[in-house]
Amino acid sequence: MTTVAELSNKHTVQWCPGCGDFPILIALKQAIAATGLNPKDIVVVSGIGCSGKTPHYLNTYGLESLHGRGLAAATGVQLANPKLKVIAVGGDGDGLGIGLGHFIHSCRRNVNITYIIFDNMVYGLTKGQTSPTSRKGFKTSSTPHGAIEHPINPVALALAADATFVARGFSGKLEHLTNLVKEAILHKGFSFIDVLQPCISYNHEQTYEFYNKAAYDLGATKGWKADNVEKAFKKAYEWGEKIPIGIFFQEKRSTYDDELPQDKDVPVALQPIDNVDITVMYDKYL
Amino acid sequence: MAKNKVALTAGGPAGSGVFTIGAMFARSVQKLGLWVYYTADYASLIKGGHNSCYVRAEPEEIHSQIKLSDILVAIDKLTVQKHFEGLSHEGALIYDSSSFEINDIDMSKRRDIKIFAIPFTKLGRDLGDKIYGNIVAVGAVSALVNHPLEKLYVALEKQFGAKKGSEVVEINKKAAKLGYDYLKENYKGVSFKVTLEEIKNQPTLLLSGNEAACIGAIKAGVKLVAEYPMTPSSSILSFMAANENKYNIVVKHTEDEIAAMNMLTGAGMTGARCMTGTSGGGFALMTEAIGMAGLSETPCVIFESQRTGPSTGMPTYTEQSDLRFAMHASQGEFPRLIVAPGDVEEAFYESFKIFNLCDRVQTPGIVLLDKHLSESSRTVKVFDTSKLKVERGKLMTNEQMAKATAFKRYELTADGISPRCIPGQPNGMHVSSSYEHDETGWTTEESAMRIAQVDKRARKLLAIKDEEIAPKLYGDADADLTIVSWGSNKGMVLEAMKFLKNEGLKVNFLQILWVLPFPTKKVTEILSKAKKTLMVEQNHDAQMRGVIREFTGINIKETLLKYDGRPIDPEDIYFRAKEVLK
Ligand SMILES: Cc1ncc(C[n+]2csc(CCOP(=O)(O)OP(=O)(O)O)c2C)c(N)n1
Ligand code: SF4
Repeated sequence: MTTVAELSNKHTVQWCPGCGDFPILIALKQAIAATGLNPKDIVVVSGIGCSGKTPHYLNTYGLESLHGRGLAAATGVQLANPKLKVIAVGGDGDGLGIGLGHFIHSCRRNVNITYIIFDNMVYGLTKGQTSPTSRKGFKTSSTPHGAIEHPINPVALALAADATFVARGFSGKLEHLTNLVKEAILHKGFSFIDVLQPCISYNHEQTYEFYNKAAYDLGATKGWKADNVEKAFKKAYEWGEKIPIGIFFQEKRSTYDDELPQDKDVPVALQPIDNVDITVMYDKYL
Repeated sequence: MAKNKVALTAGGPAGSGVFTIGAMFARSVQKLGLWVYYTADYASLIKGGHNSCYVRAEPEEIHSQIKLSDILVAIDKLTVQKHFEGLSHEGALIYDSSSFEINDIDMSKRRDIKIFAIPFTKLGRDLGDKIYGNIVAVGAVSALVNHPLEKLYVALEKQFGAKKGSEVVEINKKAAKLGYDYLKENYKGVSFKVTLEEIKNQPTLLLSGNEAACIGAIKAGVKLVAEYPMTPSSSILSFMAANENKYNIVVKHTEDEIAAMNMLTGAGMTGARCMTGTSGGGFALMTEAIGMAGLSETPCVIFESQRTGPSTGMPTYTEQSDLRFAMHASQGEFPRLIVAPGDVEEAFYESFKIFNLCDRVQTPGIVLLDKHLSESSRTVKVFDTSKLKVERGKLMTNEQMAKATAFKRYELTADGISPRCIPGQPNGMHVSSSYEHDETGWTTEESAMRIAQVDKRARKLLAIKDEEIAPKLYGDADADLTIVSWGSNKGMVLEAMKFLKNEGLKVNFLQILWVLPFPTKKVTEILSKAKKTLMVEQNHDAQMRGVIREFTGINIKETLLKYDGRPIDPEDIYFRAKEVLK
């Protein structure tokens, strides 16, 4: 069994005190511990941003990729060695701005990766510019007169892109979040959690108080079942006075690596390569 | 009469099967034991326009095309108009008399040309479909050069047998025979200057630069290919996909080149040998991640086949203008390996080698091809794999890692190369990071560690020995002129040297094969002794000349530069060399 202590390393976490990233890190450790995965078989992949530092705070293998490219790098790890558990993390700017293409393709690809967006609706690391999830009218140094565009709805987008596990969590509800992450890790296929994450330095609108008032647990809602895309879509657009958190949609579908035609007993990364016979290819050219 | 020496051009609109004519003729003359060269010229469209292909065969080894053809096969009128002047003296024009007339084309300057009117389309249609017309044409060519039909039949079996079954083979054989008989019967008394005969030769492979590069990569044990299609590298993706089962290679057609290159930073981390293929535009999208591979010390290989740029350029035409780009792409400084194969053999052997060197140095490598090499085919001796050994450098085994304590992925070692472990192994957990890091992989911005890590990465290149990256010198060391070139020009320079030698001129050829690390010592040694020098390149800025000057301080005065998208011909080099020698 892996314990939370074993998953922690000696490094001081460098987020602003009170940042909504802390609970996500704790949830991640608790969830990994609860699944019993061996840390040596886990690769936590990130993009760049405050959230991108996460792999450094975990005692697992890690890959701190480029801004927006976490999912692409994670896919490389996963396809080369599907026996590893790959968890990708990143910010909303990272995953839904610069890296948006990879997000949509990872959803529809159903690649076996758990992906957590630390959604603070602002660019944290670059000191507070507008993000793709910032509300219309949001004022920052890059949009002093207010954001003109409509925000991306990550949950609806993931549903539209045929993701097989779509959830929303909130940094302020640690136990709930831990459970979501655990479910996501246990899900076979692409599991996505949009985590509402207060950025205490640059977002003074979507704060802990804001979410504490509005967030309610879908799982505890009478009659809610996460098995219907149309209903999930409807829920995804509920935002304001009440904000649903929990699993919106989940289904079983074969994963990308399940459907790969290659031999699966040994991951390609570990197959011997010292003596590849190329002569069988010659006939065509002789 | 010229025995066993022939060059053929076939032309027609895109989609008309012109390339099949060339490919079938090439394959059938290979079966005679001849050395063969095949290349094609096409525009970026699927139907219409003008496409042509070219086949040359000789009893001695050949390296490239030459300007003149002995036979022109015309599927349309435009082909006759565009190419008849490229026929050698008393060359033959074979055209599809059932689809167009040629009497209004003024060929008065070339009364030497022998004209053969063969109704390809009609004969094809007699068999049930006009698509057999181009095989009728190949049959007619066989008759013209007295080439036994059996050899063509073998080629047809190879082309159609596996994919389409014996019925298709049989009907194509019939088409070939129709063309053959038609020419024999209707041009009984007409003799032609070329005849082909079987000769004794060792077995050869007829394949393209891209195919050879792929086979080299497969031999090296590549396990993951992530690529987005782009001419002239798309055939790398399809070749690998066609072999994904046989060799257990994960082949991913990605959403874009950014994804492809970033996937390699992940796949490389797992220990899988991995690669991507692209051309300049896609390479541009990969640049940031190439630096990521450099900083995280992740081995991976990029096959960049150059075409004309900038922007979309001329997508299906050749150029060598990405040299500087490949050398400098990505922010910051880090060691990278670049090799520019000059022919099909080198595409195979050097592609194999770069995987070993990338593993040894733990850094990205680039195989810099160009369209003319990627897509042209040549017969080569069957590859000698007896000396090819996969070497993984300091990649740790599970047993080693089981015993490891305080493992440091980026340990500051004497040679700069740190032991490398992979996810799944115990005691080696670390972050492979795009951020500067200390020996453990933990982020640092501290100046001493920054300097130490930059120096460490730079030092790794010393692990590559001079002989592993040596340039090649062809011809006598003592020459009046040294031609310097790289990439696919190699073939044309070697052909030009045959002409020059025939005239008793003393010319040798320095081929730059490895670009990074640059073989400074050897190139300096050769060039400082050279009497006259001539740089031959397919670009405007003489990029390799600049690189040579940068590393050796030697400036090559004379140049032959071509940047119209068409390969340089040996004749161009021959004339330019004579000018310089004067
Ligand atoms: C290619 C590239 N462009 C820009 C940046 C600068 N940059 C770093 S993080 C970031 C945005 C961070 O915002 P987000 O992804 O929302 O993550 P957060 O910091 O809020 O967790 C930007 C623009 C970069 N590192 N790379
Ligand atoms: S800037 Fe915002 S997101 Fe970044 S660490 Fe500080 S509070 Fe957290």
